[in-house]
Amino acid sequence: MVIFHTLARMGVEALVLVSPEQPLASIGYFQNAEEEMDLPFCRRSGIPVMRREIGGGATYLDRNQIFYQIVWRKDNPRLPQRIKDVFLALSEPACETYRAFGVDSQFRPENDIVTTAGRKIVGQGGGNIAGCMVFVGGILMDFDHRTMSKILKTPDVKFRDKVFKTIQENVTTMKRELGEAPPRQEIVSVLVERFSKILGRLSQASLDRKMIRAMETVEQSLTSDRFLSRKTARIPRSIKIREGVEILSGVHKARGGLIRTVETVENDRIRDVAISGDFQCCPKEDLSRLQETLRETPRDRHAVRGRIESFYEKEDIETPGIDPEDMTQPIMTATP
Amino acid sequence: MEIEGYQFPDDRSYHKEHYWAKVENDTVLMGATDFAQRLAGEITYVELPDKGRPVEQDKPFGSMESGKWVGRIYAVVSGTVVEVNEELEETPELINESPYDKGWICRIEPSNLQEDWQKLLSIQTLPPFIQSEILRVEQITSEKP
Repeated sequence: MVIFHTLARMGVEALVLVSPEQPLASIGYFQNAEEEMDLPFCRRSGIPVMRREIGGGATYLDRNQIFYQIVWRKDNPRLPQRIKDVFLALSEPACETYRAFGVDSQFRPENDIVTTAGRKIVGQGGGNIAGCMVFVGGILMDFDHRTMSKILKTPDVKFRDKVFKTIQENVTTMKRELGEAPPRQEIVSVLVERFSKILGRLSQASLDRKMIRAMETVEQSLTSDRFLSRKTARIPRSIKIREGVEILSGVHKARGGLIRTVETVENDRIRDVAISGDFQCCPKEDLSRLQETLRETPRDRHAVRGRIESFYEKEDIETPGIDPEDMTQPIMTATP
Repeated sequence: MEIEGYQFPDDRSYHKEHYWAKVENDTVLMGATDFAQRLAGEITYVELPDKGRPVEQDKPFGSMESGKWVGRIYAVVSGTVVEVNEELEETPELINESPYDKGWICRIEPSNLQEDWQKLLSIQTLPPFIQSEILRVEQITSEKP
């Protein structure tokens, strides 16, 4: 993590392949650590938290991931300028590496690499740092989905469980796809070979004393309380699991009681929603059936309300003090 | 002026990091060029500077996000930020839709205008620079304008 920040500041072009010795959590440049990370959990668990100067969301990093970090000067004619082209071009080596080991994968705009089943297997991000451009991604040999769900701030245990299950369903690894991850060194060799097709001939290099000293300074800055706790005006709208899949929770106080919802949304459709609260519902089973009815509904106020109204008209459901509009509210105003 | 499909209004000057500058009543209004917004793609967030923040020509003082890419906003002149386009907080895509009008980024009270302005590209000196930039983009590109 510190390496690419340092090399970019120094104007040193490189392909860095690295895995952290100890796990850590990393947040994107525009995230609010306190609003989006469970910092107390990270502290209790001894997981350091670091903000990076590139985009994307919160993520858990450990030695079961091989990170590729490409640093190049902005005026380097070998590499694209248009951001869309950067992602397209620099995703290909990871895709080819996965394919070389029998995991069929492809780049899916805007940022992810997914398997043919649509599961995310690489998260990527980038940015401009000093006079350089930086692009970062990670090969998932294996992944700790549980800890990933725990480093994120969630309103309650139910939501966290949902996050965990959704990450498990939507984020895969070499180990899961192949039964066992190939040896690290073999993966690294293939990655280097594939990247050299774009970057040109690569020769192994070591960090010199100047770089190490610079890294120490950069590390202090990236892990400082000041940088970590910087506030941005950006409001997180959901917990994004992969491109097109996010989890939101909503709450609405109606005359008949509090309504809570947790929904998984895929490509702007409600994949599933859990409705709970301290309101009365008679018969009780109708609540589950209402939840089922909402599956695959476009996440659009008109469509959601229409589906709920239709359910109320056809079924015997009674929810004193709660009408279809009340049920619609938390679903449509949901945030992470 | 149109240069190979990219728009550059005649009434402003341009910075090599692909920002525009326009003098208005002793201040300098700035924003991203059509070329910059197309390179970036859909802009999803803009981190605006605080009013009162000193800025230095050629140095970054803000950021914007497109997808999972963090780009930097560079000061076109040195001075102090006196106004920011707060519309960009809710609708950052204004930079894509209207880079020279509704998508303006901020206004700077310049501290060294005469000297700083000399370093910018005028509408007359802009074309060769942009043409070389376009060439670089099109060497490895998915689409042309």
